Amino acid sequence: MKTLLILSALLLSSLNLVAQHHHGKDATLKAEKVSEHSLYHLDAEWVTHRNESISLSQFKGEPVVIVMFYGNCTQVCPILIRDTWRLYSALDKSMRTSVNVLAVSFDTENDTPEVLKKYAEYEQLDIEGWHFVTTKDVDIRSLAMMLGVQYVKKSDGEFAHSNLVTVLDPEGKVAVRVEGLNQPMASAAQSIEEMIKSISIQ
Amino acid sequence: MRSQKNIHRLKNWALTGIVGLLVSLLNPVMAQQERVLIPAGSFHSILPEVKGEPISVDSFYIDKTAVTNEDFLAFIQENENWQREKVPAVFTAQNYLQHWQESLNPGFDKIGENRPVTHVSWFAANAYCSDKGGRLPTLNEWEYSAQLMDFESIQEMNRFSTELIGWYSSVDAKNTKAVGSTQIQNRHGVQDQFGLIMEWVEDYKPIIADELSLDCGTVGRLQQLGNIYSYAASIRYITRMSFNPKTTTGMVGFRCAYNIDHPESSSNTQL
Repeated sequence: MKTLLILSALLLSSLNLVAQHHHGKDATLKAEKVSEHSLYHLDAEWVTHRNESISLSQFKGEPVVIVMFYGNCTQVCPILIRDTWRLYSALDKSMRTSVNVLAVSFDTENDTPEVLKKYAEYEQLDIEGWHFVTTKDVDIRSLAMMLGVQYVKKSDGEFAHSNLVTVLDPEGKVAVRVEGLNQPMASAAQSIEEMIKSISIQ
Repeated sequence: MRSQKNIHRLKNWALTGIVGLLVSLLNPVMAQQERVLIPAGSFHSILPEVKGEPISVDSFYIDKTAVTNEDFLAFIQENENWQREKVPAVFTAQNYLQHWQESLNPGFDKIGENRPVTHVSWFAANAYCSDKGGRLPTLNEWEYSAQLMDFESIQEMNRFSTELIGWYSSVDAKNTKAVGSTQIQNRHGVQDQFGLIMEWVEDYKPIIADELSLDCGTVGRLQQLGNIYSYAASIRYITRMSFNPKTTTGMVGFRCAYNIDHPESSSNTQL
C-alpha cells in the first residue's frame, strides 16, 4: 500500500514537472494565469516610500506579508508594525530574501511617500523587501475589503481600524490571518517557511 | 443697431448650444448621471462615536439616483473584467448579475433599463465609481444625505415613517421600480434613498459591527434615536452587517459619490 502511495506521488510529481515544462515554454500564458481567488486581480498602481511605482502582482511567486496602518497612529500601529517585524524576524535568515512585506497606509491625506520614508527610517525598517506603500483611496479600500480590514476616519482625524497581519501565498491568496495585537507568530512564520521551501523544490 | 444686438445674441445662443452639445457628446456619462452637492453638516447617527454627539460630514457630491442597469451595461462593455463570465471569483459571489438574460444582453424588456442595477458585489460597485472618477459614499455621508428631508407637517412625517416600516418589512427584490419612481427625495434632490433598494456604501461594515449582533435587544437599542429615520436606519445597519464584500443580492445596488475638490465634478453642480 505504502509503495503504491509513493509510486503515485512520484507519478503525480513527474506529471507536475511536465506541466511546468509546458508552462515554461509559454511564458505569457504563465504570466496571465492567476488564481480566481488571488488578490493579484487588484490591478492598482502603488507608490512605495522609495518613490517606486509597484503593482501587487509583481510579488507573485513568493509569499507576501501585508499589514495596514497609518503613520500618525502612535499607540496601536507601532505595535502592529512591530508584530509584523516579529513575524519577519522569526523566519530563518536565509528565507527572508524570499518574502516581501507591504505596510499599507490608509491615511492618504498625510502619509505621502516622503512621510512613509521617514516612518520606515524611524522604525528602522527601511530595509530590502519592506515596502511602505500608498495609492488612491478606492484602491486602498478594495485591498482592505479583500483582507477583511475595517477602517474609518473619525472626526478627530484618527482612524478606528482592525489590527490584522495577513500572509499571502505565492499565488496571492490569503493563507494566514493573525488578528489582534501581540499575537504569537510562530505558526504564521512556519507557514511562510513551508511556502518558500515548496517554491525552491519546484 | 438693435438687430445687430439680436444677431449677436443669436450667435451667443448658437455658440452655447454647440459647446453644450460638444460637452455632452464628449462626456456622455456626466450627462447621464446627475450629481448633487450636499453641503457640510452634521447628523445624529444611531452609532455615534460619542453618545449623543452628532457626526460631522464634509460637503460632497452624490449621484441623484442609483446606478441603473443601462449605466452598468455601458460600464462592463468598456471594462471586460467585470462581465459575468470574466469576473474573477475573488471579486464576487456566483450570482453576480444573475438576473440579466446574458452577459452583455440584460434583456431590458424584462429587467428595465432604468431600474437600479442589483446583484452587484461591493467590489463591482467600487470599481464602477472609481471608473467615473468617484467612489462609493461613506456610510456617514449616505445616512446624512438620507436624513436631509423636509416635511410639511407632523402628519406628513408620520405617514412617511409608517410607509418606511411597510417597505422595509417587505422589500420585493424581484419587482424593483425605476430610479426616481419613489417620489422620495431629500431637500437637495437626491432621490430614492428610501423605498427602492438598499445601497452599498464605502465602509458598509462599521468597526463597531463586531460587537453588535442581530438580536432583538440590539435592534431595540438602535431604535432609541427616536426620530422618523431611526427604524429604517437600524434595519439598514443590521442588514449591512450581514454582507460581505462579495455579496450580490437582488436587494442591493449603489450610487456614487465624489470628492468636492475633483475637477470633473465642480463643473456639473446641480443645486
